This record gives sequence, C-alpha cells and structure tokens, in this order.
Amino acid sequence: MSAIHLQNLVKKFGDFTALKTMDLAISDGEFMALLGPSGCGKSTTMNMIAGMEEPTGGKILFGERDMAGVPMGRRGVGFVFQNYAIFTHMTVRQNLAYGPRMRGAAKAEIDRRVGAIAEMLQLSPLLDRKADRLSVNILQRVAIGRSAIMEPAIFLLDEPLSNVDAAFRAVMRTELKQLQRQFRQTMVYVTHDQLEAMTMADRIAVMDHGVLQQVGTPLEVYNDPANVFVARFIGAPGMNLLKGRPAQSDRGLVVDLGPLGITPPLPDALAAALRGARGEVLYGFRPEQVTLVQNGQGLAMQVTFVERIGARTIVHLGHGESAVKAVFDNDVGLAIGDTAIVAPTASSVRVFDTATGLAIKAG
Amino acid sequence: MSAVTAMVSEDEMKAAGARPVSRDEGARLGFRLTLPAQILVLFISAFPLLMQLYISVTDWSPLSGTGWWNAWSMWNSFANYTDLAADPRFWSALKRTAIVMIVCVPVEFLLGLALATLFADDFPGKRIFYSILLMPMMVVPAVAGYMFFMLFQSGGPVNDILSALTGSPVTIAWLSDPTLALIAVMVADIWQWTPLMFLILLAGLVGVPEDQIKAATLLGANPWQRFVTIVLPKMKTIIIIALAIRVIENFKIFDTLYIMTGGGPGVATETISVYIYKLTTQDLIWGYVAAIALAILIVLSIVAVFAMKRMARAREVPA
Repeated sequence: MSAIHLQNLVKKFGDFTALKTMDLAISDGEFMALLGPSGCGKSTTMNMIAGMEEPTGGKILFGERDMAGVPMGRRGVGFVFQNYAIFTHMTVRQNLAYGPRMRGAAKAEIDRRVGAIAEMLQLSPLLDRKADRLSVNILQRVAIGRSAIMEPAIFLLDEPLSNVDAAFRAVMRTELKQLQRQFRQTMVYVTHDQLEAMTMADRIAVMDHGVLQQVGTPLEVYNDPANVFVARFIGAPGMNLLKGRPAQSDRGLVVDLGPLGITPPLPDALAAALRGARGEVLYGFRPEQVTLVQNGQGLAMQVTFVERIGARTIVHLGHGESAVKAVFDNDVGLAIGDTAIVAPTASSVRVFDTATGLAIKAG
Repeated sequence: MSAVTAMVSEDEMKAAGARPVSRDEGARLGFRLTLPAQILVLFISAFPLLMQLYISVTDWSPLSGTGWWNAWSMWNSFANYTDLAADPRFWSALKRTAIVMIVCVPVEFLLGLALATLFADDFPGKRIFYSILLMPMMVVPAVAGYMFFMLFQSGGPVNDILSALTGSPVTIAWLSDPTLALIAVMVADIWQWTPLMFLILLAGLVGVPEDQIKAATLLGANPWQRFVTIVLPKMKTIIIIALAIRVIENFKIFDTLYIMTGGGPGVATETISVYIYKLTTQDLIWGYVAAIALAILIVLSIVAVFAMKRMARAREVPA
C-alpha cells in the first residue's frame, strides 16, 4: 500500500498539452476516481503513474519515493486495462502465474500463490480453462488477480467497465468495490462514467481539458461543484444554470433572470456572499431539487418535452432562450405545452460567477 | 445449393402445386449446376497429374515419333521408378536441395524475424529502409542470378571488398569451387527471399495486441521474456505459413541458381529442379522426368499437409 502524490505534473505531446500542471494527493488505501470526458487527460495521468509515459514536467511520488526514471515493470503497480489484456493464448492459471514466473519464483511458490489468489477471486474451478473464452466478469477477475498476485502497492484501472453492457455493469461495479475492500489497496480508477465514479470511489477528481477541476467525495462534487464545468458534468441530467444579475427585492436578495422574472430569495449565507457582486451570475440548481409551486413563488415555464423513465420523470421546461430540466419521483401529470411553475429547494441553490465560471461560496 | 431452393419458399411451391424439394434433391440439383465448372477444375488439376502418371510408367520421349497418348506401347513395367531409386545423381541432387533448404530457410527466417522486430518500432529513416529492404523481392530472379554471377566473379566486387578488408589481393574463384559455389547460390537465395519472410513476419508482429505486451511489461517481464511468452505464441500461425511457403519454394530453387552456375561446377550445385531441367532438355527422357516430378510432388504434399495440420491446431487457440 502506498500514497500517491502528483506534484505540478505536466504532459505535452509535441505542441499538444494533454495535462496542464496537476496536483493531486491520493492517500494510502483510497479509491480515487479520475473522471472526465474523453481527452481530459485522465488516461494520460494514469499512464504516467504506471510509467508508460514520461511526464514532461513535475513529480510523481509513491509514498516518499520519486518515481522518475523507474521503469514500469518496477513500480509495484497493478494495471487493469480497458479490455483487460488477458493473455488469450494461455490458461487462467498461466495468466495468474505470469508475474511470479517472469520474476523467477520457484514452482512450489508460484503454485501456492496462484492457489491463494484463485481461491480469493473464486477462480479455482476455472484455472485450467483457456483464457480466450471467458465471460467479462471472469476476465475482470483474472485481470485483477494477475496484478494482485504481485502484491502491488497501487492498483490502476483504466475504464475496465466500458466494454460491458449496461445491465452487467452494476454487477461488475459491486464486485469491483468488494475486491477493493478485500485488497485494501490504493486504487486509481479512470472513467468517463460518473455513475461508476459516484458509486465506487472514496473521492473523485474531476478533470477537463488537461486541468483538474475539483477533488472531493462523490457528494461534495455533486452538492458543491467548484465551477460550471463540474456542475454541468456531474449529475444526470446536469445542474440547471440560468443567466441573471443579483437584485434586491422586498423579500431579500434575488437573482433577476430577465424575461423569466426573478428567482425566489436566496438563502442568507449565499446572499451575504453575493452582496458585493454586481456582474452577471449563473443561478444553478439540481433538476432533482425542484418543486412545483403556486403562481408568484417560482419560475413560470412551458413544458417542451417529458421523458418518463420508470421511477422518475424528467420534464424539460423552456422560456425564451432559457431551458431547465426538472426531475420528479413520479408522474406529475404535465404534458407538452402546459405551463409549470417551478422553484428550486432553497438549500440546493448555487451561484456561479459568469466571467470565471467559479462557484460563489456561501459564508 | 440451399440458396437455390431457398429462393422459392415451400408455401409458394405448394400453392403452385409443386411438391416440396428435399435436401437431397437440392444437393443433386446443385451438383448438376456446378458440374461444368467442376469438370473444368478437374481438367486443370487432375488431367496433368494423370498424364504425368501415365507417362511415368513408359519410355516415351518427344523423339519417340508418336503422340504421348500412344505411350502405352512403351510400357516399361515401372522401370523408371526402380531406376530412380538407384540413380545416384538423383539422390545427390535431392540431398543438395535439402542442404540448401536446411541452410537457407532458417537463415531467412531468423533474419526476417530480426528485421521485423526492428521495423515494428519506429526509427529515423524507417520508410526508406523499408523500401530498400523489399527491393530484392521485386527483382526478376533471372536478373538476380545474373547480378550474383557478376558479383562472384574472381575479379568481381565480392573479391574487391574482401581485398579491401584484408589488405591483400583476394582472387577466390567462387563459382568454380564446388563448396563456394553452393555457398554463393545460397547467399543469392537468402538475399532475394529474406524480404518475403520479413514482410510476412512483420504483418504477424504488428498484429500482436500491444496491450498484452504492456501488461507483460507491467508484470515484470523483460524484452526477451515478452518475446518468448507473448509475441512468439501469438505469431505461431503466421510463422508456420511463412516457413511452409519458403520450404516449398526453396525446394524448387532454380532460376537464380541456374543462371549463376548452371548446376556446376560439375554437378556441385545441381538441385532437383536443375536435374529435371537437364533431363528434360538435354536427355529428353520424359518418362523418367515424370517419375521424378511425381516423387517430388509427393514429398512437397507431405510438407503442405503437415503445415496445414499445424495451422488448424494453432487456429483452435486464436490470438
């Protein structure tokens, strides 16, 4: 087990900057997800931790140890590839035994370790099967077992669930999380799927365009996005953001949304933080934290589309150029063309500076 | 066959008052429809073989004054085959062919594999070297033969280079010395056919999944271990194909060699093909030639069948 420190990490490919100065501390035994859209630099970061790529600048420390110049075979890193990269011409046993065999371990020792790891991953009955005809969850276990047998300090997983169909992903997520608890290893998990990151990770590092946007627990990034990108990226659908200007009303500080009217008054703490601001802001709230209210207490908008997805209903609302989504737990009886008056739950409202995109923090 | 019957569904046929066509009837119809093509294929492949077999048990020659179809009157009760078994020149030609093959094919394979490994990675000037490397394969074998004939003259460039290297004048008569002539011939073959080996093996090498090589590296395998445990097993099928092609082709080695040495000095570089050529054009004993050719065909067929079996087995374990 080992902590990982990334210090001022930079990676350039020719003129293209894949990663602009990244600082991240991953503690010992932590499950950290690197989350972001494709091309955000998450895989590059991972490859540098594994030693497959050399950083252009900055440092990677495992514990106290600087990894510069340490070849990838000697970093004590377990890596699970996107497609698992199982050696298909070998049996499950040969796959598991590969690492110790290459390091010249004695036959009895290899057998003992393969036996132990197979037992742990419930692979014992499959040991002599050829690895080219296994189902994905078995492949995942073989891939993890093959790395785990080396007792790596750090486990890196590169979108291991992206080739799996949606129904099976839930099963795999649970299995993966259980395995992590079993091994108590530091795990870094790269994904573009926020559901995977939210359900499995202890903390999430959200990345975009080679820049680390926010690091926090799943609930922190969901509830308190640091900027507009995180607000839009996290959540399905993402946070609603409406352009407006802070304004004083008789009920307290509100945001004037132009043709949409004014918002309900902001909570005191947020109002205090916003009091100085005069420029344009983005008024944000989660689609899940919207209620239907009486006239005059919310934003009146037209229903443009209704998505019923079983347990929940997503209502698309529009007014002029503004558009928001609202998620309700059951069918609220709204149809296209209806007018709905919606108000965000006061505690869920967040405000962002339009110019910088950063959240204006309450208190 | 089934496609023909499937074009009309059973229901439609019943409606039209036709009885349903059974699978057997479909097969028979298919057979009749493909018969002309099958006869043509049979004519192309089987006819020459049967003709050869027929002539091989007679004393027929183009000088016999009668057509080959009348060769039955020259039936010699398998004398060609008994002669063949006792022909020292045939056996020595066969042995020489085998020696050339045993030297050339492994050398071409190892050189090809080494070059393919080199070219699997990027290095400056790769494209130019790649083109240069493939050139020998494009040279007409007869031209290559003439080229090497010139190179190995006693006053030729090979001796010039050796002179420059040793500092004293070298005048080796390469093509007049029995052993050196054989070596010169093998050098030419290796020069011309290593590129083919290289090309086939490179195709196999770039097909090895990069992820698995990286995975092996992360598990601590050194380059040699990666090569032996990942790359070679993944290339098994393509290696068998490459070796089979070169074994069969090399066994028939002729044009380059014939132009360089004509099978000489004496019979020092006389391979099976050269021997057959001489018997055909100089001795004109075609019945005997047919017998030799059949014997060779059987040997090569055994090689081909062996290779195909290995390939089928390798395919059961896809990469």
